[in-house]
Amino acid sequence: MILALVGLAVGVLLGVICPVTVPLAYSKLLSVALLASLDSVFGGFRSAMENKFDNTVFISGFFVNALLAAFLVYVGDYLSIDLYYVALLAFGLRIFQNLAIIRRYFLKKY
Amino acid sequence: MISFKQGHISIAFVCMVLGFMFALQFRATLEQKASLPYQRVEELSARLLQTEKERDLLQGKIDELQNSPGSLAEVRAIQELRLRSGAAAAEGPGVVVTIDDSKTTAKAGENQNLYIIHDDDLLKVINELRAAGAEALSVNGQRLLGTSEIRCAGPTLSVNNVRSAPPYEIRAIGDPATLEGALKMRGGVAETLKVWGIQLDVRTSDNLQVPAYKGSFQFKYAKAVRPQEVTP
Repeated sequence: MILALVGLAVGVLLGVICPVTVPLAYSKLLSVALLASLDSVFGGFRSAMENKFDNTVFISGFFVNALLAAFLVYVGDYLSIDLYYVALLAFGLRIFQNLAIIRRYFLKKY
Repeated sequence: MISFKQGHISIAFVCMVLGFMFALQFRATLEQKASLPYQRVEELSARLLQTEKERDLLQGKIDELQNSPGSLAEVRAIQELRLRSGAAAAEGPGVVVTIDDSKTTAKAGENQNLYIIHDDDLLKVINELRAAGAEALSVNGQRLLGTSEIRCAGPTLSVNNVRSAPPYEIRAIGDPATLEGALKMRGGVAETLKVWGIQLDVRTSDNLQVPAYKGSFQFKYAKAVRPQEVTP
């Protein structure tokens, strides 16, 4: 747990220090990828609560979900299919669902 | 509390990537907010403020210069020049000429254009008034200068690039009797226009006002020549 928090802090620090900036055109993709990874993280939390956490599933899900979401939105832009909003909706729904389940586990435990 | 069974390092790595993305996105959003549309509004409003300040400053300068005491002769010369150039409103005795389109309708096959006022009708009247010694002239509130045009603009007339519709009111300052006589003399303008039914009404007045020229004086091409530079 502490290691995870340290990792998060290091990541934020790197992001702030790093001179790379995302071009305006790609900030949409990054936001979708971010949402997908957030979804993966909450999903991971939930599975950890259920004692079903699988490292491989979590990590592969994290990267593949994020990349795939960004890629689909990118392709959708060229096909004039606005997958951006679809992705936002789908991931958003899942995040809130997972949050609700996590909350219930916490309530059960304490 | 929560048991991640394996791979603490990989989870830390994932969290690091997540944090990195967070920070990147945060910065991108910040930059977006600082970018074009927002900046443009701020820049424009700043420029507007600056321009307004500049305008007020210049207006203040104008007032200052206009109110600055010069010698009496200078002030008089300036006043006379302003009157001549049309920069100042004028008042005095004169005539008010009102011209309106003909009330008689054109017969079949006749040109309707004959019965409405044209620029040359108005020009004839004004020329006659000038010949009779009119000192200041205006057409529908537009002061006539040396550079004023009078021309047809569709069904309206354009004077000083301002359009107006009939009836046209020409104000002329000068000797009322002479001005009236010049228009109404036998074979004169009034008689010619009456043939076509165009209504021309001349009213003398002891005190009438001719407005100042409302536009700006700007010479793009003409420059004043100093007296000694004039070639013989």
